[in-house]
Amino acid sequence: MSRSKRRKPIRKRTATRASEPPRPLFEGYTPLEGAYDELFTGGGKARRGRGPVVRRLDAVGVRDFRLRQRLADNSFLRSGITFRVYSDQRGVEKIFPFDLIPRIVAEPRWGRLERGLVQRVAALNALLADLYGDQKILKDGVVPKEIVLGSKGYLSQLHGVRPPGGVYVHVAGIDLIRGPTGDFLVLEDNARTPSGVSYVLENRLVMKRVFPGLFQRLAVRGVGEYPQRLRAALDGLAQKHVREPGHSVVLTPGQYNSAYFEHSFLARRMGVPLAQGSDLFVHDDRVFVKTTKGPERVNAIYRRIDDEFLDPEAFREDSLLGVPGLVRAYAQGNVVLANALGNGCVDDKAVYPFIPKAVRYYLGEDPILDQVETFLCSEDAARQHVLENLGSMVVKAVDASGGYGMLFGPTSTKKLQKEFARRIQHNPRGYIAQPVVELSTCPTWTKGGVAPRRVDFRPYIVTGRESWVLPGGLTRVALREGSYVVNSSQGGGSKDTWVMGSDDDAEEAE
Amino acid sequence: MISRVAGSCFWLHRYVERTENLARLVRVNRSFVLDVPLADHDRWLPLIIVCGERERFAELVGDAATVPDQAVEDYLVWDVNNPVSLVESVRWARENARTTREVISLEMWETLNDLWNYLKRGSGRRAYRADRDAFYKRVKDQADLFLGLAESTLLDDEPLAFMRLGMWLERAMQTARMLDVKHHMLGPARRGGESPVEVAQWSALLYSCGAAEAYAKRGPRSAAPQGVAIASFLLGEPLLPRSVLGCLDRAAATLTRLREEGESGLGGEAAAHLDALRARLRSRPLEEIVAGGIHAELTHLIDETSVVAGHVERAYFDPDVEAQRALLT
Repeated sequence: MSRSKRRKPIRKRTATRASEPPRPLFEGYTPLEGAYDELFTGGGKARRGRGPVVRRLDAVGVRDFRLRQRLADNSFLRSGITFRVYSDQRGVEKIFPFDLIPRIVAEPRWGRLERGLVQRVAALNALLADLYGDQKILKDGVVPKEIVLGSKGYLSQLHGVRPPGGVYVHVAGIDLIRGPTGDFLVLEDNARTPSGVSYVLENRLVMKRVFPGLFQRLAVRGVGEYPQRLRAALDGLAQKHVREPGHSVVLTPGQYNSAYFEHSFLARRMGVPLAQGSDLFVHDDRVFVKTTKGPERVNAIYRRIDDEFLDPEAFREDSLLGVPGLVRAYAQGNVVLANALGNGCVDDKAVYPFIPKAVRYYLGEDPILDQVETFLCSEDAARQHVLENLGSMVVKAVDASGGYGMLFGPTSTKKLQKEFARRIQHNPRGYIAQPVVELSTCPTWTKGGVAPRRVDFRPYIVTGRESWVLPGGLTRVALREGSYVVNSSQGGGSKDTWVMGSDDDAEEAE
Repeated sequence: MISRVAGSCFWLHRYVERTENLARLVRVNRSFVLDVPLADHDRWLPLIIVCGERERFAELVGDAATVPDQAVEDYLVWDVNNPVSLVESVRWARENARTTREVISLEMWETLNDLWNYLKRGSGRRAYRADRDAFYKRVKDQADLFLGLAESTLLDDEPLAFMRLGMWLERAMQTARMLDVKHHMLGPARRGGESPVEVAQWSALLYSCGAAEAYAKRGPRSAAPQGVAIASFLLGEPLLPRSVLGCLDRAAATLTRLREEGESGLGGEAAAHLDALRARLRSRPLEEIVAGGIHAELTHLIDETSVVAGHVERAYFDPDVEAQRALLT
């Protein structure tokens, strides 16, 4: 359709065709009103530091860009970088759609973000240590006891258990959005098993393959060291706190899990075995892996199996994915589990409003990162407000993820709003609500040319004996026009995220 | 290495080997049936039998002697209800590759994934319709490329050893099955020499095993009829990497190395079985084995090779937890 529209009169297609300049990629691009655009100012100029990228992409032109987008898609398919959609046992494999126009975060904003993320992870970790220890924060009344201890993610049987090195959140994925002012806001914390980092690394590889010229002299920071950082964090904790020598492994639920590609990818790039539950067993409160040469000791497990499936002796008896006795071994301090057990109580959406207080309480600092105003439906006044304003709010189930269990007020039907009102009244602790934040947008390739689409951002923080922030992250983009939902299961795609110095700023004006 | 992963390596190569064999077999048969006038039941039925699919085929498709050739070929290549069809072999090879990504090389993975995409994303189907010979060649080449990449991109270590072991055992069984299908043309009961059709069939068998040129170089080594000479060659020529004995010898060497490098004494039963099989093949002149009832011999070989695979499985891939615990105390 766009092809026929662009078909020029014949005289133009003859002699001059080869030398005709390509149609600039961003020609006619109009940022979305009311939203912060990641590349352009409201006036349509490239933002500070983005000029070189915009110019280079413009020079690539629409035609060539389309070709490269296709190359990128083929490249994912060829490499088998897919996720599985559960429809039947065989599963349908899909590519996570990738958009070639990068999202850029430049200094000094990145530095500030980095400090904010490290601070937030430190607070989450301190909160967990306290909740499974002396519970001072509850005794001091800073955080309401019933909210935290009432979280499904709180595992009371682990009270008193301190993980090796006192580290709970080895891998954190903190979801951020940017409001209309351009400030980053925390939308939610993922302190259990945040996924998606393999796409960050693969996206970058594909990007370099199809757009080598785009990177030249821009000093985009590399993302490739993530797996080694994660391995070093695990090995370091195991060496210091478990002492007897042993393997580090990645633990996966198996090849039919939708994120299996990532589990396998990480094991490969970390250089450690990829184990399934049935490969491991516990003997004398120590973990072993069954090998072709007999059992071998395991000291650190980066596990991608949820708490409740991890050990049928301790949690769900019917779990076939887990390792019987693993929790005992963990409680004895004989194995590093990353992430630790019971983290779900701090990334519970009803606990989220209290994280800034936890930052102040444990660290004695003001939170560097702001977050979104949140109404706890368990509080009477807040619930009343939510029920009266369902049409303009986002309601979320406290323990859901992946964009499920959500009501997006402005685009919802009256029927669905009624349904959520019923659910909220039935289980107030189970829901929170937030005002709709206008997400930032990024120019994105669509069938009709480049158009603004909403994005969010998930940076990854690895913590062993100290914290390290991956200089980049997963930018997810809502590919459907008008959509706010970025989840891969619901029509979302991803973009490469570039963290760059501000050296080029001088030549670009706002 | 992790026991389960070793098992996936073993099966990975078995499935790729099976893919390669089937593509070659069908390709040869296509050209063969054009050359010689054959009774209907000799055209495509043998392939169904080689695959061990006689009953299921009869149930799902019909009588192989009467259905059109096309139906047999479709069944062998595309039918997802046929567990040994080309597309299913590739699917399972890829599934095993998916669970061994941290072990195999990127090039191996991409080669196999290319083959899968070729079969699943249309271009393979188009080639199958438009230029079938090229289709089979592509499949076979891709499988051979995969096997070659394993040898040229992996450490010569445990994972590769389990891959080779799977490949040799699978190939031994495949060659034995192909021979078995032709066994009715052999034996002392037959008189009156070999017909041109039979000679053509033996020659097709050599091509199906990729052994025609090797056989020509080696030459018939006895005055036996050509059928017996060729059957003997495919059964017991130790230098031929597709003969039953050649495969079993190589499997045994691979297993010996695995056992020497392991400290746990695992794999003893598999090795003993394998050695007994090889000794038996070497105990009499090949022509004598062939002439004296090769069907029974081949059935024994196939069954016993399965037993070897079963022992390997229990020793290395699916160890009992209690047995592993015992090793700790």
